[in-house]
Amino acid sequence: MRTTRRQFLTLTAAATAAAAARLDVAPAFAQSGPVKLGVLAAKAGVLAPVGESGLRGVQWAADRINAAGGILGRRIELVIEEESSPKDTVERFRKLALQDKVDAVTGAISTGVGLALGPVAEEMKTIWLSWDATTQKGVEETIPKPKYSFRSTDNECEAVMASILTARHWKGKFKTVAGINPDYSYGRDNWAAFLAIMKKHGIELSVVSELWPKLGATDFTAHVAALAQAKPDLIFSCHWAGDTPIFLKQAHGAGLTRSTKLVLTTGGGVHESLKKEFTPEGAILGYNTFYFEHAKMSALGKEFVRWHQEKFKEWPNYESDHGYFTIVAYRAAVERAARAAGGKWPAQDAIIQALEGVEAESLSGSRRYREDHIMEATFFQGTTTHKNKHDFVTIDPVESMTTKQIQKPSGVGLYDWINGWKV
Amino acid sequence: VLFLVAAGLQLVFGVQKILNLACGSFYALGAYAGVSAVAWALGHGLPAPLFVLPLLAGGLALAVVGPPLERLLRTIHDRDESFQLLLTFALVLMLEDVMRFVWGTAPVQLRGAYLVYGQVTVAGSTVPVYNLVVIAAGALIALGMGLLLTRTRFGRIVRATAENREMAAALGVDMRRVYRRVFTLGVALGTVGGALVIPATAAVNEMAIEVIVEAFAVVVIGGLGSMRGAAVGALIVGVLKAGAIATWPDVEMLAIYVVVIGVLVLRPAGLFAGATP
Repeated sequence: MRTTRRQFLTLTAAATAAAAARLDVAPAFAQSGPVKLGVLAAKAGVLAPVGESGLRGVQWAADRINAAGGILGRRIELVIEEESSPKDTVERFRKLALQDKVDAVTGAISTGVGLALGPVAEEMKTIWLSWDATTQKGVEETIPKPKYSFRSTDNECEAVMASILTARHWKGKFKTVAGINPDYSYGRDNWAAFLAIMKKHGIELSVVSELWPKLGATDFTAHVAALAQAKPDLIFSCHWAGDTPIFLKQAHGAGLTRSTKLVLTTGGGVHESLKKEFTPEGAILGYNTFYFEHAKMSALGKEFVRWHQEKFKEWPNYESDHGYFTIVAYRAAVERAARAAGGKWPAQDAIIQALEGVEAESLSGSRRYREDHIMEATFFQGTTTHKNKHDFVTIDPVESMTTKQIQKPSGVGLYDWINGWKV
Repeated sequence: VLFLVAAGLQLVFGVQKILNLACGSFYALGAYAGVSAVAWALGHGLPAPLFVLPLLAGGLALAVVGPPLERLLRTIHDRDESFQLLLTFALVLMLEDVMRFVWGTAPVQLRGAYLVYGQVTVAGSTVPVYNLVVIAAGALIALGMGLLLTRTRFGRIVRATAENREMAAALGVDMRRVYRRVFTLGVALGTVGGALVIPATAAVNEMAIEVIVEAFAVVVIGGLGSMRGAAVGALIVGVLKAGAIATWPDVEMLAIYVVVIGVLVLRPAGLFAGATP
C-alpha cells in the first residue's frame, strides 16, 4: 500500500502529538516508574571475564530487590552498556546520563577508564558507583573531594595485605626477590608498595629482576628464562587476568615453582584457571574481597555461590561482590534518605549524602562507603593448598584483613602512611 | 611459531600480492581448535602422550576456512593495498567475535599436556621437552616448505606465479587453483602454529592482534615475500625479545622496533628481499 500525502500528514501530526504528550507526562513518570540504573560492564578483551562477573552480581542484586518489591516500591531497571576504552566509555556514560536519564551508573573496572569517568560524573552530575576502577593516578587521588563519584578500594590494598603476610610468614627466609607485574599503573604501584613495606619491616633484600610483561600477554617464556637465571628466593606478582595461569604454567615448566616462594596478590580473580598441575602449594594467593569457599561466609554469600555455580557452572569471584555492593548500597542510601524526607523519594543530593558512610550487607559481609567516597571492605588471602575437591588450588588457612588495616586513610599519602606504621 | 605465522603471510603475499592481516586470526583459530580437538580426543580415551596428533589434526582441520576466505579475498585482488588491509582487518574483527561466540571470553586452557613429555636440563636450565618438540616441528615445517617450493611441480608453479603472474597464466597455469591452494597452505601454517603453541599457554580472544604485530616486524626485517626472510626474521625477533627481557626488560618492544627501523633505513626491502618465496 502506498502512503498518500494525506495519510502521511495525519501520521506526522499524530506522532508529533504523541511526542508532545510524552514530554508532558515524563516528569510525573519519573517518580513512579522504574529506577533506572546504568551499568558499564566490560565485554571484550582481558577485562571481559571480570566485567561479566561484576554484571552477574548487579543482576542478582537487582532481581532480588525487584522480587521483594523494588526500592520504595520502584522496580530497578538496568540499562547495560559496555566498558571499553576510556574515550568510548565516557561517551556511553554521557549517553546513559543524557539519553537514558538514569538515576545512577554502576560499573567500570579499569583504572584508565576510572580516571576518565571521574571528572565526567562530576560534570554530568550523575552518581557513579565504581566496581573496581579508582581515580588514583600513581597512588595520588586525582579528585580529592568528588561529589558524584563513589570509588572502589585503593589499587594497592591487595599488595599491602600480601606484603604484610609475606613479612609475617617468611621474614628471614628470603634474600633475593623478583617482581613480574603487568606493565601499567596497577602493576607498577603494587610492586612499589611491596618494596616499601618490606623496607618498613626491616627486611633486607636485593631485587634481582623486575619484569613488566604487557597486560594480557600469552607468552612468558623469555620472562621465565630471565627469572630462572636470576634465581630469586621469592617472586612477587600482581597478575590478575587470563595471563596469570599462562605465566604459572610456563614458570612451572621451567621448574621455577618448586623451590621459589610465590606471592600472587590478585590471582584469586581467575582462581578456577589456577590448576593444581602447575600451581604449587604454599604460595600466598589473594582473592580480593570475596573468597568463594570461606567457611565463615554469610547465608547470603552462600546462596549467591550456589546460584552462580548452578547457573554458570563456575565459582564466583570478587567482582560480583563489588557489583552487588554498589546496588544494595544505593538502595540503603535511598531508604535512609527517604526516612529523613518523610517516606518520599529523595532528591539526588539527599541520596549522595546518605551514600556517605552508608553500610550494607554484601556477599562478603558488611561493607560501607567512607565519607570521602572510598569503599571499605574485607580482603581475603591465604596459603594455597591442593587438598580440596576441585582441580584448581584453594587457600587454607584463609586470612582476612579489613581496609582499616590495609588501605591508606582519607587524605594521607600511601608512603607516608606506610612509614608511620608501628611494626 | 612466529615463523609459521610469518611464513603463511609471506606465502600469500608472495603469490597473490595480498597483505593478509587475518593471518593472526588463523593462529588464534588454530589455538582454539587445538584445545577442542585434544580435549575431545582425551575424553575418548586417547593416551595423553599422543595428544600432539589431535592437536595437529585440529590445527590442520581449521585450514578448511582457507578456500571460502580466498574466494572472498579474490574480489579485492587487484585493488589498492588499503582495501586489502581494510578487508583483512575486518576479517580479524569478525573472526574474533566468532571465537568469542564459540569459545567464550574466558581464556581456554589445555589441561595436562604441557609436561607429559617431562622436562630436561639444558645448560643448567630446566626446559619442558614439549618446547623442544615445538622447535623441532618448526624446523621440520620450514624444511618441508623449502622442499615443497624448490623440488616439486607445485612448488615450481607457485614460484613461477610469484615471479610473473601473467606469464604463468599465459603458459596455462590455472591461477584460481594455485591461489586457492596457496592461500589454504598459508592458513594451515597459521592454524598449525596456533595449535602447537597452545599446550604452553591459553587461548584468548585477542591473541590474533598480538601476533599480527610481531609477524609484521618479522616480515619487515626479513623482507616481504621471502620464505628465508621469515625464518631469519622470526629468529631475530625471538632472540631480541629474550635478550631484552633478560638484560633490560623495559626495552623489550623498543629493541625490536629499533631493528625494524634500522632495516627500513639501511635495506628498505628487508634482509632477504628479492629472493624467491
